[in-house]
Amino acid sequence: MIQIENLTYQYNKSEPILSFPNITLDKGKNLLILGESGIGKSTLLHLLAGLIKPITGKILINEITLNSLKNNQLDQFRGKNIGLAFQKKYAIESLNLMNNIKARLFFSKVVVSDERIEVLLKQLDLFDLKESKVSELSEGQLQRLSIALSVIHNPQVILADEPTSSLDDKNCKVVIKLLKKHAKQTNANLIVITHDHRIKPFFQNSIKL
Amino acid sequence: MNIWSISLQNIKTKPLYTFLSVLILSLSIALLLGIQQLQWSFKNQITNNLGEIDLVVGAKGSPLQLVLASVLHLDNPTGNISHSEALKIGKNPLVKYSVPISYGDNYKGYRIIGTTHAYTSLYKAEIEKGNQVENAMEVILGNDVALKLNLEIGDSLKSSHGLVQNSFEEHHNLLTVVGILKPTQKVIDRLIVTSLESVWEMHEHEDEENHQENHNNIDHHEKEITSLLINFKSPRALLTFPRRINKQTKMQAALPKYELHKLYEYIGVGFKTISLMAYLILVISGIIIFISLYKMVKERSFDLALFRTYGASNFQLIKMVFYEGLIIVFSSFFLGILLLKVGINTILFFMENNQHQSILQEIPSKNLLQIAILTIIVVVISVSLAIDPIIKMNISTILSNEK
Repeated sequence: MIQIENLTYQYNKSEPILSFPNITLDKGKNLLILGESGIGKSTLLHLLAGLIKPITGKILINEITLNSLKNNQLDQFRGKNIGLAFQKKYAIESLNLMNNIKARLFFSKVVVSDERIEVLLKQLDLFDLKESKVSELSEGQLQRLSIALSVIHNPQVILADEPTSSLDDKNCKVVIKLLKKHAKQTNANLIVITHDHRIKPFFQNSIKL
Repeated sequence: MNIWSISLQNIKTKPLYTFLSVLILSLSIALLLGIQQLQWSFKNQITNNLGEIDLVVGAKGSPLQLVLASVLHLDNPTGNISHSEALKIGKNPLVKYSVPISYGDNYKGYRIIGTTHAYTSLYKAEIEKGNQVENAMEVILGNDVALKLNLEIGDSLKSSHGLVQNSFEEHHNLLTVVGILKPTQKVIDRLIVTSLESVWEMHEHEDEENHQENHNNIDHHEKEITSLLINFKSPRALLTFPRRINKQTKMQAALPKYELHKLYEYIGVGFKTISLMAYLILVISGIIIFISLYKMVKERSFDLALFRTYGASNFQLIKMVFYEGLIIVFSSFFLGILLLKVGINTILFFMENNQHQSILQEIPSKNLLQIAILTIIVVVISVSLAIDPIIKMNISTILSNEK
């Protein structure tokens, strides 16, 4: 379960304070957050991932208050429980595809069987590319790798930041379906933020920032 | 998967920077080690090879040359002195014992020195195999000579005239090996020791042959030696003894300790200059490593932010950069040592006529450790400066900006 209350954030003193609506999301439910660029959608996602700390307000993920965690506890919590998928630049360039997965698991301190890695990569049609350099992958393959990296460690919360904006209608549909499918497999919360209205029909819950 | 392997992969993706960093760092390490090795060898050479020699008496000329030739066996001698005159000096009550030496020949570049049994005791050299020289035309070998030339007791050798190896001025007489000395780490290891009589015999023979061209007023029957090495009963003799010889005889007396110290002072300026340059290069290589790591941190800030989203702590990212620095240091250190060995061997190869008199010694591990620590300090400083952006980075800003 995810709960957000009275959340505000400010990048630096000269910039306006961003404030966010209260949100409550039950376990296993998905949420679409729509909004135009520049109104702090990504900021909300980063707050949820514990990458930055709010000025005021409270974030509760599965009974744990993120604000109360110390830095290293927050790193560990994020590694185990959160999966982030991005719009672009999804992986570490100096590592090949398989090593990206392995590095992700290493930092998350989560042990996953080789079988699970194989199954996941096959589902995403990436298994044959496991030795490939990141720079050799196509846009679509990178997008799928980003999904693999966000779900491989069975997180409680999957956060996707504009996962479809650079994709055509067909691939847009594929990506959303994959994200939803993997969220369902592990009973995780999926939160997608986007300005892409094409994906609105796929979600029951949506809010507008 | 661990941080080491990620660091290694990172390094592999920027070969040019890595190559540059390793190259300049290893050069400065080689230079630092090289200068230390030279300085160490030189110091060692002075303290070690003096043995018990307090004073050298030889023909007039440069005192330094006399010392170099008679003590370190590096330069040509200043000339000859009369054996009977030298014997008179040796009988002085202030003298504990004296050793005449005479030379002018070599075998395959190793100097043959005619002397008495006392010579080996100057260096406390003991016989390993065989026995001391008893008759003319017998030799004992320094340990290095026996090893390098693969000579055994009973072998005979034909010496050549002069101090440098050549084949066109060979003597006809054969010298026979009767003994081999234990290693001493001193100059005697590289010498072939025989009796004064052997040297005289070889040269008398030659004088007869070259009688016409070599003709001069010197009485052929007067025996000559190159110099006399003296050990005093008390150091007080050093105050008066050399002055008396310099004033009252045609010979000169040189204090090896003083001459070599003077030489060391001269060369010391060079050592200092090169050391300074080496340290400067070390600092420059530190700056280059800093720049390359700093650039890496800046250029790949998104990668680093991505690691943070995976749950990596700041400390892990710092470790990652630090390991990259360490990999550069270790490869540079080994490359540096390799460069040094290759460099020194190349120099020795081109100075071939001196190779047998090489004064180089292995650098002591203490100095090696010192330079290793110094290098690590420089790299730690440059890494610490380079990781500054990691500590200050706002992951959210980086992730948003990359879109």
